[in-house]
Amino acid sequence: MIRLWPKSLVGQLLLIVALMLLLAQGVNSFLLYRGAQSQNLVEASTSAVSRIAFGQDRQASDRPMRRGAMPVQRWGRLKYSANSVVTDDMQRLPELETRAGQAFANMGIVFSDIRATFIRNLTTDMTGHLIGTNRRAWRDNPINRSMGDKRAPPETRGFVIISAQQADGQWISIASVVRERTPLLVRTLLFQTITIYLLMLIPLILLGRYISRPLKSLTAKAHGFQPGETEDLAEQGPPDMRELIRAFNVMSSRVSSMIKEKDVMLGAIGHDLRTPLAALRVRVENVEDDVERERMIAGIEDIVHTLDDILSLARLGRSREQSDPVDIRSLIETIVDEFTDLGHEVHYQRGDKQSALIRETLVRRALRNLIGNAILYGQAADISVEKSGNKLMINVDDDGPGIPEEKIESMFEPFLRGEASRNRATGGSGLGLTLARAIARDHGGDIILTNREQGGLRATLVLPAD
Amino acid sequence: MTHKIHILLVDDEASLRQPLAEYLIKQGYKVQQASDASVARSLLNAYDFDIILLDVMMPGEDGLSLCRFVTDKTDIPVIFISARTEETERIIGLELGADDYVTKPFSPRELVARIKVVLRRAEKSGTKQISTSGAAYQFSGWTLKCDKRSLIDADGLNISLSTGEYQMLLALVSRAGKVLNRDQLLDITQGREAHAFDRAVDNQISRLRRKIESDPKNPEIIKTVWGGGYVLAGEVKSL
Repeated sequence: MIRLWPKSLVGQLLLIVALMLLLAQGVNSFLLYRGAQSQNLVEASTSAVSRIAFGQDRQASDRPMRRGAMPVQRWGRLKYSANSVVTDDMQRLPELETRAGQAFANMGIVFSDIRATFIRNLTTDMTGHLIGTNRRAWRDNPINRSMGDKRAPPETRGFVIISAQQADGQWISIASVVRERTPLLVRTLLFQTITIYLLMLIPLILLGRYISRPLKSLTAKAHGFQPGETEDLAEQGPPDMRELIRAFNVMSSRVSSMIKEKDVMLGAIGHDLRTPLAALRVRVENVEDDVERERMIAGIEDIVHTLDDILSLARLGRSREQSDPVDIRSLIETIVDEFTDLGHEVHYQRGDKQSALIRETLVRRALRNLIGNAILYGQAADISVEKSGNKLMINVDDDGPGIPEEKIESMFEPFLRGEASRNRATGGSGLGLTLARAIARDHGGDIILTNREQGGLRATLVLPAD
Repeated sequence: MTHKIHILLVDDEASLRQPLAEYLIKQGYKVQQASDASVARSLLNAYDFDIILLDVMMPGEDGLSLCRFVTDKTDIPVIFISARTEETERIIGLELGADDYVTKPFSPRELVARIKVVLRRAEKSGTKQISTSGAAYQFSGWTLKCDKRSLIDADGLNISLSTGEYQMLLALVSRAGKVLNRDQLLDITQGREAHAFDRAVDNQISRLRRKIESDPKNPEIIKTVWGGGYVLAGEVKSL
């Protein structure tokens, strides 16, 4: 049921209109049905009134009844009784009673009381006092005969009984068949609904598209939003939609200018910090003490590294470096060599050629950070490459203490290091993993940390394979 | 050599320019300082320089534009000094005809080494444009592109090289068929002389072989000449 519910605006609009239309048609039909029913009752009571009036005529003219002149069987005889056939426990129909009273009055006949009721099955005492049906045909039917005369003839919904009290207190009663002449409701209802719906369908679809087309382009624009985009989305659709598009355009230009400001600021920070650092780096060469000088150089390099990490992280996603297919083996070897040259223990066994479409300097930085972490916490790193489906996984394993499972995700938060102290002596900017993950995700990959069964941590750099 | 190497140092930041000039003078160079492009232009008219160290970002006329002027009118090699680290910046600089590119902050020793490399290259070739901007070489199915410092295999796949490996390969490729000993290679690539038991060259060569030879144990591209050094075998096409 839920699955049938359409997802698009136009679909929902069409469905709601269809349901509402059906409901309105249903109510309409019910009212029509009610109207038709009371119409049938009026018709039946009119025949009954005529019959009584006819009987009264003859009584009034005091003419002896000629045998055979009246098709008694077909017309039904009037029932004369001391008490009304319409007893007090029956539900009376005041509207019919008023109508009958007026009809009699028009004909100059006066009754002291008139009662009318509707019954579904004919009571025994009224058998034979019935009009409005071809009773002979009805009675001659053997099935009906076997069941007595209490069953209503076909197409009969029930009977109206009109009972009128003469001035002498005697009641004249007659029953009249109420025919079923209500229309074929369900079919008509459906036919009407569908006709109206089809007529409304075209304007509805046009209206829906008028609304949904600008909505769709707005959604696409928001999804593919790139800061710095100057092209505004054209305002189209109804006024409130135009207003929304205008608001979106203003918002995106605001976002773009904020990001541009940030870029300008970062560029300035980069420039303004690098130049004095460069000056410092030159001056350090004048320091006579070798140990002291090397320490100072290391300190400057540490600052530069942190600065690079911050700037790369901030600029990521708007890198102008172009992606190239790169042999992952050579990339790993280049970085491994860097570390072995510094005296670290890093193992990598060259395997099959693996290609990935990457921005090499960025991925180098990510991998360098992972290996740097492995060496920092585990003294040695072991690198292996796996390919699964269209994913390339570069695993960096260490023999360190690993990370408690519940803390793994928080390792990616900026400026958080594995150990509780934020002691700079352990090195690193605290941005290493954050940046590595940002780089991997920028390439459509990720960084995954898992504790190895044999102990130690495995950091996996996932990249889409070329 | 009686002639002192004459350097033009162009940087708007006096805080960097002055100590750097002092350092270079201490290393035995003659240095003129310019705080912007117009000063640099007048100095260029007045003196004969051997090399220019040029800051990219300067108020007024920037380093890129001055570099274009210098490479168009003269044969003086240019080394860019930039605060920008992006790869594209470096490529633009090299495309404009700069011979090398260092990013701030740099090690002054490395800068001196690079000055030596650039000068040696210019001296050897007579004209300075031998192996940099826009140049590319093809050898044994490989392509070495100098502007992006990239090595591309027969399938179009980029092979990652360290700076040292790139320099070494470029030295061998641009002098294909010529046997180069360790001293020469160190001189070309790093502007320094080998100390005793220096394994740096052999190390780079074996790493290069691992990346480009189909069988690094029996090299067919970079061959060892016993008692001599290394040579790049096979035909090299300069593009």
